[in-house]
Amino acid sequence: MKDAITLKMSLPKIPNIELVAIEGLDRLAHHLGIMEDKIGEAKVLVTEAIINALEHSGESDPAVRVEFSMTKQELIILVRDFGKGFEPSSIEVPNIHDKLGSKDKRGWGLKLMKTMSDDFRIESNKQGTKITIKKLLH
Amino acid sequence: MEQQFSLSSEVRNNCLVITTTGYVNNVGGEAIAKEFARHFEGGTKKVIINLAQSKVVNSIGMSFLIDIVDQLNDAGGKMVFTNLDPAIHKMLSIMGLFQFAGKANTVDDALKELSA
Repeated sequence: MKDAITLKMSLPKIPNIELVAIEGLDRLAHHLGIMEDKIGEAKVLVTEAIINALEHSGESDPAVRVEFSMTKQELIILVRDFGKGFEPSSIEVPNIHDKLGSKDKRGWGLKLMKTMSDDFRIESNKQGTKITIKKLLH
Repeated sequence: MEQQFSLSSEVRNNCLVITTTGYVNNVGGEAIAKEFARHFEGGTKKVIINLAQSKVVNSIGMSFLIDIVDQLNDAGGKMVFTNLDPAIHKMLSIMGLFQFAGKANTVDDALKELSA
């Protein structure tokens, strides 16, 4: 993206490390004068992408790579882990009616990222998983 | 940066009001669930979750709240969320939680709703 400001980081697998990325995102967004409601939604996307990646990251390289590219118009979020990957189409879309009464209440991350973003892509293979999210900011 | 999670609780008009501060993740969600369980065992079936001081949550933390909603539904009780940040409101809407839990602007509004 032309004129984008970028932030790249490698996050170790330690509790609440996603808050570091959130803090960085917040600073970029305020620097560009992004509206608070858009920042809030971007924080949800980043949080879900990182906790998903940390959960699936491998033992040999448990770190998660995160990159933000932001302009006043849009934010691109890249989150990459180096775990064993998974088949995205095999993940069941959660439904609150099914979750109530079920023991497993989790599994909302992909649905939230797909619904709250303006474009969502996931590439996964045995070398890891890469999530690319676009969020319009105006 | 978002503060470390903590919570406080009080019982008002027979309703349990849980007020959180900081990031509601798996640890925060579990802490809310434990606080709820303590009162639920004593017969409390109306719960208000006040997220005024929590601006970041994640879906794992929210899964604990779905479990509370589940237990309250089975017991004929109700949960109401208050002081929701717009992004958290959108998140809970996407999850479909407002089909089974209420929402109010303030704790006082929630108390009125639960006493109606």
